[in-house]
Amino acid sequence: MAASNSSKLFRVGRSILGSLSNNALGTSRSSSQFADMDFLSQQTRTFIQMRTNLKVVDNSGAKRVMCIQALKGKKGARLGDVIVASVKEAHVGGKVKKGDVHYAVVVRAAMPRGRCDGSEVKFDDNAVVLINKQGEPIGTRVFGPVPHELRKKKHLKILSLAEQIA
Amino acid sequence: MRLEKCWFCSSTVYPGHGIQYVRNDAKIFRFCRSKCHKNFKMKRNPRKVKWTKAYRRLHGKDMTQDSTFEFERKRNRPERYDRNLTEDTLKAIKKIDKVRVDREARHHSKRMKPKKAQLQREAARELEQSISMVKAPGALQRDPSLTLPIKVKVSKPETVENRMEE
Repeated sequence: MAASNSSKLFRVGRSILGSLSNNALGTSRSSSQFADMDFLSQQTRTFIQMRTNLKVVDNSGAKRVMCIQALKGKKGARLGDVIVASVKEAHVGGKVKKGDVHYAVVVRAAMPRGRCDGSEVKFDDNAVVLINKQGEPIGTRVFGPVPHELRKKKHLKILSLAEQIA
Repeated sequence: MRLEKCWFCSSTVYPGHGIQYVRNDAKIFRFCRSKCHKNFKMKRNPRKVKWTKAYRRLHGKDMTQDSTFEFERKRNRPERYDRNLTEDTLKAIKKIDKVRVDREARHHSKRMKPKKAQLQREAARELEQSISMVKAPGALQRDPSLTLPIKVKVSKPETVENRMEE
């Protein structure tokens, strides 16, 4: 959340700065400014690792979840991977309580993931769907778009619940 | 396999190229290269960025309405494979492309036509006014070939009379 806020600020600041520089100064100055700002605002998105906060997009009752362990992958989890997560925030009276530890599958990741046709996909935020040990989702609805990658990872139930497949 | 259009510049994105960004409202933005992607992140409006197709179409630089565009519309129903149909389609694609390119060239030349006459007039005026920059006025009087040939209406009867006198 903080990261996305800071990136938004950077973007907004940059656009304001860009417009100011375009109006006031010459093009050479503005291009060098842009280069500096480019370096600052280009966020290198990385893996989902321990302590990563993720949004929960099903109706299992949890709202925010922190990754404890990324199963598979030395550097961390990516789009479509399963993680172990601890519930940090939950709706009152949901199936899941705060402090529970569950498995979860990453359905949206800000880090670009390569597709088999060579292109890359990336989403706006990091989101998970809580599942049980067998891989079935705990909730009954999934919100927002989900990627194709889940099909290969055999999370077909989530795909069937999704409103949009990216 | 599907050839998509870049959201920013409207060029085709071939398989293996580009980045696909999925927003949380499930709107998919496809970019052909990082130039378009970076411009998008800067929140630039493609209708204001001079080199994009959106700008060119909006400002009348490129054709907007043509029957050749109807052939390229997106079709969501997959066609059953038929070898003859595929052959004919491939031939038709080539022909339609040629027709479209010719029409675009014609549109461009129509747009550029008044420019030629204007350039000629400007050149003539410049020659008249600033020939003194290149040649001294004295030289012009001595050697009349340096000035523009001023069209003088020669009346025929006079020459006939002169010859008669000689």
